[in-house]
Amino acid sequence: MTERRITGREEDDPSIERALTTALSTEPLGDETLERVRATVMNEWRAANPPSRFDRKGRWIAASAAAVVAALAVGFIVQRAGDAAVVGTVARLDDGGIDVRGRFWRHWTAHVGDALKTGETLTVHGPVLLSLIQGGTLRVAAGTVLNLTGGVEVSLAHGLVYLDVPPSIKSSTPLRILTRAGAIEHLGTQFEVLSNEGAVRIRVREGKVRLVGHAGTVVATAGTELLASVRGGISQRSVETYGRDWLWVAALAPDYDIEGRPLIDFLQWVSRELGRRVEYADAHAHDVAAHTIMHGSVRGREPLEALADVLATTSLTYEMRADTIRVHSVQ
Amino acid sequence: MYEADRVLVSRMRTGEQRAFDEFFNASASRLAAFVSRRSGLDPASVEDIVQNTLIKAVRNLASYRGEAALFTWVTEICRHELADAHRKAVRRPAHDSLDEPDAVAFPVPELWVPEHLEPAAEADAHHRQKAVIRALNDLPERYARALEAKYGDGLSVKEVAALFGLTTVAAQSLLARARDAFRDRWNVESDVVVGVRRDD
Repeated sequence: MTERRITGREEDDPSIERALTTALSTEPLGDETLERVRATVMNEWRAANPPSRFDRKGRWIAASAAAVVAALAVGFIVQRAGDAAVVGTVARLDDGGIDVRGRFWRHWTAHVGDALKTGETLTVHGPVLLSLIQGGTLRVAAGTVLNLTGGVEVSLAHGLVYLDVPPSIKSSTPLRILTRAGAIEHLGTQFEVLSNEGAVRIRVREGKVRLVGHAGTVVATAGTELLASVRGGISQRSVETYGRDWLWVAALAPDYDIEGRPLIDFLQWVSRELGRRVEYADAHAHDVAAHTIMHGSVRGREPLEALADVLATTSLTYEMRADTIRVHSVQ
Repeated sequence: MYEADRVLVSRMRTGEQRAFDEFFNASASRLAAFVSRRSGLDPASVEDIVQNTLIKAVRNLASYRGEAALFTWVTEICRHELADAHRKAVRRPAHDSLDEPDAVAFPVPELWVPEHLEPAAEADAHHRQKAVIRALNDLPERYARALEAKYGDGLSVKEVAALFGLTTVAAQSLLARARDAFRDRWNVESDVVVGVRRDD
């Protein structure tokens, strides 16, 4: 057996180094892919590890804030009450909560039914459904920080939101979402926005969205994902409007009041919530949906659960096929 | 031993953005390479595995005890993800086998040689690559990991030392022994490959 002397040189055989380097080389992930993964992982990380209010930086800020509280008290006195517009109300609050930071560092915890006003910053610790004063809903994932900068404008500091403004709601000044990569304006739609340090991802599920970015304006239609870098680059690709990526949205769906309403309207609501179109397998199925008036409640049920509950009381059944909910008569 | 990694994880657990960036920048690309070298997956599937692994890692930071390098801990999660992906692929065969329903073994993910359908001119390179990968798979895991870190991920000796919790001198020694072991195996594998080609 020969004894090997360590000389301090890293390599002693260039052919071995070449062989290993060549055989172990791989195609690196592209920048877009990395940003996409970063955005998704960061969202999960934020949800699982919310920022500590008492970390070193936080303690320093708290100490500083304490030092200026006296000065700010003057601000409270002169603050005109009621000068902030209501942007929306908290419609549902799952695990976690919402910390609200108002003007002059006023800090409180929001509950279901509370109004949220311009000038307030929301730090969301659990999934939240906001009902917007202008109509529609804003679903907010855990770990999101959102500034209500105006009556029709919110600024997404980081995190994940989903705006749903049904086509039936007409507004001359639709809600805008400001991000690091630009302003997002909707044109009667459902879309999701995820923002992190490096990029903003927009997924359009219905209608159209306009991104007014640093490098220009891009309009995206349903089934499109835009990935906008804070440096100005924008890329796009096709995405499915249904499936696991949208489960968090369905879990935050507002309650649908079925009492006295036609089944066909309910099916249309389920269709929007799941991002899958409804297809009637036969004329009878369509007739039943159109002429059945529902009674009872599916409050607290997610769209898919509600669909199963409701159809179980009719002569209809359904099956999922990729982007389609196929409704047919029970044989 | 892995104090820097333990501190990084603590910072991540308090929600410090800079800590997350540090973790992601150090892990994501290397993890993608790790997956590519151990599977025949297409880029989209590699992305899925990397994403799922990192999501599980950030959700379970509390379980990291600093007993191994953070990246090593992440790769252990990744091995499970690869195994799951393989298990699902086995459950959904392109063609059902009526002959050997239980014939598909469940392998521990190891370095993988892509199957090439290449022009003959590229066959030599492929055979050489195959010999290298086989030789690596035959090495003790610690040696293979050291060589992969050094030549696959391009880590410096100092970084390899940090990964294995060694001094720089000890890492140099580890790499030297790994190269020696590799050289022996590679020579054997090269002979085997040449023999196969002669038979062709």
